[in-house]
Amino acid sequence: MVGVTINGQSVEVEAGSTVLQVAQRLGIEIPTFCYLKRLPPLASCRMCLVEIEGLRRLQPSCATAVTDGMVVRTDTPLIDETRSSMLDMLLANHPLDCPICDKGGECELQDMVMAYGPGKSHFRDPKRVFHSRDIRLSPVVIMNVNRCIQCQRCVRMCEEVVGAVALGTVEKGMDTAVTGFEGSLASCDQCGNCIEVCPVGALMSFPYRYKARPWDLAETDTVCPHCGTGCQLTVGARKGEFMRVRSKEEHGVNRETLCARGRFGLDFIEGNDRIKRPMIRRDGTLVPVSWDEAGDHLRGRLAAVESKAAGGVVSPRLPNEVVYQFQKLMRTAFRTNNIDCSSRWSTPFDMLAPLMANYTRAPLKEVLGVGCVLVIGGNVTEENPVTEYLLRDAARRRGTGLLMLSTRPSRLDADAKAVVRVPPGGEPASLAAVVAGLVAAAGEKLSDNALAEIAVAIGGAAARNGSGGPDRLAAMLIEGDTVTVLVGVDLLRSSEARMALQQLDTLLQLLRLLGKSPALQVLFDRANQMGAWDMGALAGALPGPQPVADDAVRSALARNWGAEIPHEPGADLEAMLDLCVAGKMGALYLVGIDPVTSYPDREFVTGALGATDLLIVQDSFLTETAAFAEVVLPAAGYGEEAGSFTNNEGRIQQVRKFREPVFEARSNLAIFDFVAAQRGRTLQPSTQVEIFDEIARLLPAYQALTWPGLGVDGAFTRASSTPPLGPFFAQPAFFQARDGLMLVTGNCLFHNGYLSERSEILNTIANGPYVAMNAEDAAQLGLKDGDQVVVQSTRGELQAQLKVERPFPKGLVFVPENYRSLRLNSLMRRGEYPCPVEVHQAETAYEIASANRVWRGP
Amino acid sequence: MVTMREKIEQAAARYPDQRSAIMPALLIAQRVHGHLPGPVLEEVAEILGVERIWVYELATFYTLFHTEPVGRFHLQLCDNVSCMLRRSEDLLMHLESALGIKKGGTTEDGLFTLSTVECLGACEMAPVMQVGDDYYGNLDIGRIDALLARLHALAPHGTGADPFAAERPGEERHV
Amino acid sequence: MYEPVLLKNVNMPDGHLLSTYEAGGGYRGLAKALKEFTPDEIVELVKRSNLRGRGGAGFPTGMKWSFVPKRADRPKYLCCNADEGEPGTFKDRIVMERDPHQLIEGMAISAYAIGAEVAYVYIRGEYVLAIRRLEQAIAEAKAKGYLGTGILGSDFNFVVHVHCGAGAYICGEETAMLDSLEGKRAQPRLKPPFPAVAGLYASPTVINNVETLVCVPHIVARGADWFRGIGPEKSPGPKLYCVSGQVRKPGLYELPMGIPLRELVEDHAGGPQPDRKIKAVIPGGVSAPVIPEQGLDVGMDFDSLAAVGSMLGSAGVIVVDDTTCMVKIATRIIEFFHHESCGKCTPCREGLNWVVKVLRRIEAGAGAPGDMEQLDMLCKGIFGNTFCALGDGAAMGLRASLAHFREEFVAHIEERRCPFH
Ligand SMILES: Cc1cc2nc3c(=O)[nH]c(=O)nc-3n(C[C@H](O)[C@H](O)[C@H](O)COP(=O)(O)O)c2cc1C
Ligand code: SF4
Ligand code: FES
Repeated sequence: MVGVTINGQSVEVEAGSTVLQVAQRLGIEIPTFCYLKRLPPLASCRMCLVEIEGLRRLQPSCATAVTDGMVVRTDTPLIDETRSSMLDMLLANHPLDCPICDKGGECELQDMVMAYGPGKSHFRDPKRVFHSRDIRLSPVVIMNVNRCIQCQRCVRMCEEVVGAVALGTVEKGMDTAVTGFEGSLASCDQCGNCIEVCPVGALMSFPYRYKARPWDLAETDTVCPHCGTGCQLTVGARKGEFMRVRSKEEHGVNRETLCARGRFGLDFIEGNDRIKRPMIRRDGTLVPVSWDEAGDHLRGRLAAVESKAAGGVVSPRLPNEVVYQFQKLMRTAFRTNNIDCSSRWSTPFDMLAPLMANYTRAPLKEVLGVGCVLVIGGNVTEENPVTEYLLRDAARRRGTGLLMLSTRPSRLDADAKAVVRVPPGGEPASLAAVVAGLVAAAGEKLSDNALAEIAVAIGGAAARNGSGGPDRLAAMLIEGDTVTVLVGVDLLRSSEARMALQQLDTLLQLLRLLGKSPALQVLFDRANQMGAWDMGALAGALPGPQPVADDAVRSALARNWGAEIPHEPGADLEAMLDLCVAGKMGALYLVGIDPVTSYPDREFVTGALGATDLLIVQDSFLTETAAFAEVVLPAAGYGEEAGSFTNNEGRIQQVRKFREPVFEARSNLAIFDFVAAQRGRTLQPSTQVEIFDEIARLLPAYQALTWPGLGVDGAFTRASSTPPLGPFFAQPAFFQARDGLMLVTGNCLFHNGYLSERSEILNTIANGPYVAMNAEDAAQLGLKDGDQVVVQSTRGELQAQLKVERPFPKGLVFVPENYRSLRLNSLMRRGEYPCPVEVHQAETAYEIASANRVWRGP
Repeated sequence: MVTMREKIEQAAARYPDQRSAIMPALLIAQRVHGHLPGPVLEEVAEILGVERIWVYELATFYTLFHTEPVGRFHLQLCDNVSCMLRRSEDLLMHLESALGIKKGGTTEDGLFTLSTVECLGACEMAPVMQVGDDYYGNLDIGRIDALLARLHALAPHGTGADPFAAERPGEERHV
Repeated sequence: MYEPVLLKNVNMPDGHLLSTYEAGGGYRGLAKALKEFTPDEIVELVKRSNLRGRGGAGFPTGMKWSFVPKRADRPKYLCCNADEGEPGTFKDRIVMERDPHQLIEGMAISAYAIGAEVAYVYIRGEYVLAIRRLEQAIAEAKAKGYLGTGILGSDFNFVVHVHCGAGAYICGEETAMLDSLEGKRAQPRLKPPFPAVAGLYASPTVINNVETLVCVPHIVARGADWFRGIGPEKSPGPKLYCVSGQVRKPGLYELPMGIPLRELVEDHAGGPQPDRKIKAVIPGGVSAPVIPEQGLDVGMDFDSLAAVGSMLGSAGVIVVDDTTCMVKIATRIIEFFHHESCGKCTPCREGLNWVVKVLRRIEAGAGAPGDMEQLDMLCKGIFGNTFCALGDGAAMGLRASLAHFREEFVAHIEERRCPFH
């Protein structure tokens, strides 16, 4: 600790703090432009100069570390004059076009001039004009170079936080200009973080430009609906019409950053396939009806199929309250535990339970220690971009060692200490190899007993396949002071999910035996997947999630709900579809999900839905699944219903409503009341806040949370105490990477599921569907980047543009799962993932897509 | 023949970090291509495995790099203080009228580009002009004319980088 | 008569060849250093010699070297600053063109002292001949075992690489040079950390000017006392002066530190052209504030020049006679700084742009009342507030011109024309 005095106030602060930080702590305002909290200081704008006793010159407070006994002044006439002089110089060439500038009203330069500027500019020579027209750097970024004040926040943000290195600075001195390669940002992430950090109106959002003035917008703080990172964002709407998204400097896991989906992908709510009115099927076609008519129809049909099974699947994008109420509706009004919360996979609850018990519910920033972070599966850069920013920050600024184990390469690999590229489907085997490597490397650190037990379980060190990568990871895991494991949902997608989770569990247990307390979080690709599990939208689990079979839990909930709960675990998604196919499913109730596009076997799922007696689809959009429905109920969309999301960190945050449901749509909660009524029941309680209170009362992890208590940064749900050691699992059978090409899928940078495809802005950014594979494979097949190719499985085929990716491993074919028109799932066969495929040149090589593949400006 | 790629790779071996080799690589690429258009920058980025924007940044920051074509002979007249004190302005006017271009321009035949530059670090022989690799000092109008005449004569053979390479077997030659 | 040391070989035919250099006793300093001194002893020796950096700032060289941490967990680097962009300066070029081995020897000894095995010579790209000569000399020295592994039978290994600049004055600023070497836009870095602690690739790095390094072999060969005996005690040694502008014999002169400016200009460089009078002299490159004729009796060393409000800088002595307009000189100098500003910090980038506009107007006879005050205000806003010394140098120089030749500026504004035309 060192003692410092600023403007007469003395404090003790940590050594290494900067003068600016100390001043901020004391509530002393120092103006800055180039300073950005999450970046190292640049000290170039010179707005923050202060007087330090004993030093001849003024010093930049943003970059000056305090020393013991330092005496600082920020309030002298010299400082006033200097600030005013800096502003005078900045204004000299700044176009004073504030009335037409997008930033007018929320411009830092404007504010600063008000507070510290010269009363009147002394400058009277002609201003510099770089370009008389704004430059369209990308579909979403437009630049007015004349307004730039060279704080370099955007460039540093792009390189140091986002890692895209798309923006740069050209020329020097007075000609300095921020731009992309050859004046284009065509191939950047389009995250718009550069726009966010621009203090003036230099970098602007093209979709928002000239659309509104800041003071005309009603702004609502809420949570992004796309991935599980759960970024906070602020929606600006004018008269209920969506206008823009901003992020706030200090809040949420993301602070001021977002990805393209969050910043530009919320206009999906204006998608043109919103369901306007309830619909029922008459003579084979869906016809719009009133809510009353729909109710009558539903009541009759529900009664008719009562003797058969019922089941329901709810979307992991819906708020906790909705998911919770849905499972309660199913369990009490439909008397069934046939519940799930994914249209893509089912997760065995016996394997999920240890995972949840190990879960670290804490801010990611804290969870990423200084030791090592093992990232398993997926491509975090594309699937959870903002999480990736934090990982990069940890690696670059705290020296955290990133260890990557995945099939798909990601940009984060460049910052990693070790990268293990796994053949498609090889995750369980690779995890097992890491386990074996750990056992071998741990040696005497493990007691003889434990060692013997593990050795027996995993089949001894002989099981090691001798590959260097996993051993290197193991060595680094042993060395790491802290160990964090982040798991991508790829593991759940695989047909070997159970095996993968078993190996993961063994790995975690082993790390604990080695005295590490490994932190664990999952990198969900759906905004409320964590919440959906917590709410018990699972066949084998009640809210908690706690096992259905647990009598105490069940009876406590039954008492609270005033209804019996079936005591047998229900059918999960897979089992429900089996029931459908077998003709045993009476009513299948799908809320907010679209299995026809997303279930990894289109032929099978359409058959199953077709064989269901009564298919009820509740959604905001007319999905392909809705086309199979007998009853379609229009639900509120994102932003039209309040609730809460629990993100990957276990942080629960308020999702706020910024407008009323459009057309005749009703909130999901209201629709549940409506459906319950058709079964002659009422659901108590039924308002969102009351439901929240019940969740907080009944779920251990949510104990003591209050709705108003979910402040600007949300609140953290509580982790369970460390789980007891369980069994170790045997190694999977020797994994033999298959010859030939294997197709895997996942999210791409610009889309998340199918929702984002309804965003017009994202569609102008993304280049459309593509097939990615490595250069060598492509060359062997005589294919080159940009070719139209056909991907063919035994089941079906699709056609898209080829994207040759240098770092891709051989044998891997990746097609993003986000394009409805591709019908990717028609290539897939249930239980077979990754999917063997062949790739060849498309015969009608018409040049549609390649012509505008790379966006080159207007 | 050593290819551009090989030369760049050799230069890169001098540094522990490939990014350091961007500047040498651009100098090499410019000798090969005369100037540095986008595709050349992309090629340099690809050879070194560095970000394209980094290459672009350097190609525009440093005055010796040209992203636009320059004439075969680039006449770079110093007009900084020491040369100015020795009347480099007169030489500029003379050059402009002799070549029929303004400073910054290129003759129609693409032979000459005329620029003024900051101090060349040869003020003892002010006024000075650099053409290709060589400095020409203690200039006056007569010497300028003689030089232009020689360059014209050389036009079919010389290159921009080193017009007199052919005349210089060792390398010995200095004004 | 002063006997040149640093320029001894410069006028010899083939001074750039190893054979010439060896014949004149070259590389004996290196042999002596490796045989008779430990690295620390060399640092001590250089400290005792009072050698101060010849690049401009005059920082004590031995002290700079002693900041390099002794730990060896990272490689250490030596960088030779051969960017020589300061207008009026050409000494380093001549040394490298005509006596490159002297520099290589100086670098080898310096690297040995600080524990570096790799050095980069950052040399401005325009110096094509110097680059060729230096590369040739490096090859020769390597072949003869003065560079490479196990130099002269010791366990000292050392390689020198040439890194060509590409036309940016700011690269001469040592931290901008490091960024440039790392392949970035050359912009100065924050200090601390100082390069000696975390410089090139975040490793300990010493940056020295060509002339500074060239002094080192002589200090080793002849001793610290010899060096300290030349010129003023606190700022001693042989010194290269670059004289240019309106004098009869412009050129490079090696003379003791501290020689009176008047003697340098009038005796050695021949004084003004016939029928002209000296009006002013810029003593240390255009960053150094101008000295009017009556101030020429000042000694040419760091402290004496600082005492009169100017600086030795790079010892680029630019002589201006009475036929020349000082407004024009001031404008040209500010244009230079404006052109070469890296653009990082506000006062330098924006302030100099403003100054240029005003000065050009005044020079063209379009000055307005209030312009002088505007210039004073801008000098105040720029000086002391810029990120690096470039902006300071510009403001300092302008201030001196405004102070010493105010009447010329005022005349331009009042007469609405240049009185010298
Ligand atoms: C704008 C600016 C330009 C400079 N240019 C040069 C230069 O061209 N050559 C040089 O040796 N030092 C130059 N310097 C000084 C260097 O920053 C540094 O002080 C010097 O290289 C250190 O070497 P020395 O201690 O041997 O003098 C410059 C400094 C500034 C601020
Ligand atoms: S003073 Fe500022 S803008 Fe000027 S060269 Fe230095 S850092 Fe760059
Ligand atoms: S905030 Fe300190 S210099 Fe810009």
